[in-house]
Amino acid sequence: MRIIDRYAYQNRISRLDPACKTGIAFGALLLCLLLNKPLVGLTTIAWMYFLAVFWARLNWRVFGKVLLAESAFLILASLGVFFSVSLKRDVGSLWDWRLASFWISVSRASLQQGMLLIARAAGAASAMNFLTLTTPLMDLLELSRRWRIPAILVDLTAIIYRFVFVLLDRFNIMFMAQDSRLGYTASYARTMNSAGLLGSRLFINAFQHSRRLQLALESRGYEGGDFRALPSTYQPCRYQAWIGVAVFASLFAVWGVT
Amino acid sequence: MIPVFEFKDVCFQYPGHDEFALQGFNVKLPQGEKIAVVGRNGSGKSTFFLHCNGLYRPNSGGVFFKGESLAYDRKALRQLRQQVGLAFQNPDDQIFSANVFQDISFGPLNLDLDEDEVRHRVQSAAEACGITHLLQRPTHALSGGEKARVALAGVLAMEPEVLIADEPMTSLDPWARLSIFEIFERFHEQGKTIVMATHSLSVVRYWSSYVIVLQAGRVTFSGTPKELLNNPRVLEETGLSKIWWKVDPAFPENGAADF
Repeated sequence: MRIIDRYAYQNRISRLDPACKTGIAFGALLLCLLLNKPLVGLTTIAWMYFLAVFWARLNWRVFGKVLLAESAFLILASLGVFFSVSLKRDVGSLWDWRLASFWISVSRASLQQGMLLIARAAGAASAMNFLTLTTPLMDLLELSRRWRIPAILVDLTAIIYRFVFVLLDRFNIMFMAQDSRLGYTASYARTMNSAGLLGSRLFINAFQHSRRLQLALESRGYEGGDFRALPSTYQPCRYQAWIGVAVFASLFAVWGVT
Repeated sequence: MIPVFEFKDVCFQYPGHDEFALQGFNVKLPQGEKIAVVGRNGSGKSTFFLHCNGLYRPNSGGVFFKGESLAYDRKALRQLRQQVGLAFQNPDDQIFSANVFQDISFGPLNLDLDEDEVRHRVQSAAEACGITHLLQRPTHALSGGEKARVALAGVLAMEPEVLIADEPMTSLDPWARLSIFEIFERFHEQGKTIVMATHSLSVVRYWSSYVIVLQAGRVTFSGTPKELLNNPRVLEETGLSKIWWKVDPAFPENGAADF
């Protein structure tokens, strides 16, 4: 999480207006879902990879690794689409295997459907990866504010985002403190016990922390209600909009041609 | 001159606790001084500070800001909190936004200032704290010293008259401490008052112009550092004499220093 977060802040287009990046990513996502050809998904992956590496100047390995990690889940999830299990042998299937009294088979239709599913999902995922790896979360939240998402949701997300890191730090420190006193090496029972203690301590910590935060906010004039924030200044979208147009046009073209 | 703060017989008890956090608490904070507050952990320093900001209300007794008794209605509190800035011990308790700029602008926005003024204040507070290069950084990617300065900038952006800092130097390296001292120095040069809780006796002796010693929820001494060092009774009672000579070679082992 920290790593993704760091890329989001440090890439070359992180100061660009988030509306621009969000438009490209969500547009590509939508087209991936609407246009039902596998090549559309593959083209989206190629585009997002290209934009991430050459436009945002992300390391090419990073983008690949994130996508690879997601593909593992994707392939597991799509197994059920590729293979069908039945008691009778299906004559129309491409391949089949006998397992005890069952037939496991792959038909042409299920193969195509599986391919389409994977391509679509991977395309959509790569569009979202592009967005998360190039846009700091605070910018996305500001965009949701601009787009009139209820302030309470935006504020809550912002607070959670901030304190996930605080909690993560506390967790690391406490874990190391326990580990250095052999909390996790003595035995299975001790490990379980240590983890339980850590959990309850973290909970108490978070509770105390929230009370101190409340005081700190009040001392700076907070009187309840929404958090007020000034809009940040971004590089405005200009030629960047054309990138979006190019992406969408090529997706339509690929869909029409094949 | 009217003291910035005066506490008269303040008693305060945390709900569910038997002992009083503050008990018969009497003190006057002189204006325009650099005030050090010393006392053991749990002696009531933080509770005292939270009273100065109207965050806690005494069970009995009175708190006076510039001679006026504190009122606890919304308008009065808003005014008080603008004039009295409070920096918490742990910057992570105070920084609530993941964006440095947003966090610093929080206080000024709560004062209902217009956008240009808020931007201006954020900029000048950031300059005063030497963090203009951090404004676009996420707060969780800051070092401890940077966090401390961001937290201070968030308080200074409200342009308070009095700055109260609860052990701001604890867990900072000497370089970061120096930068905090410099921020304080510039603040004090404008004729404003600083109140700082500290465990450093050299800070008491060389930095502060006024000292308050707390013990078990009471003020056992208030006066200049020189008066403190020449007051063997207080030094003895608080146990300060036992440790002071160890950290300060100029302080004689037996008896008070002679300036």
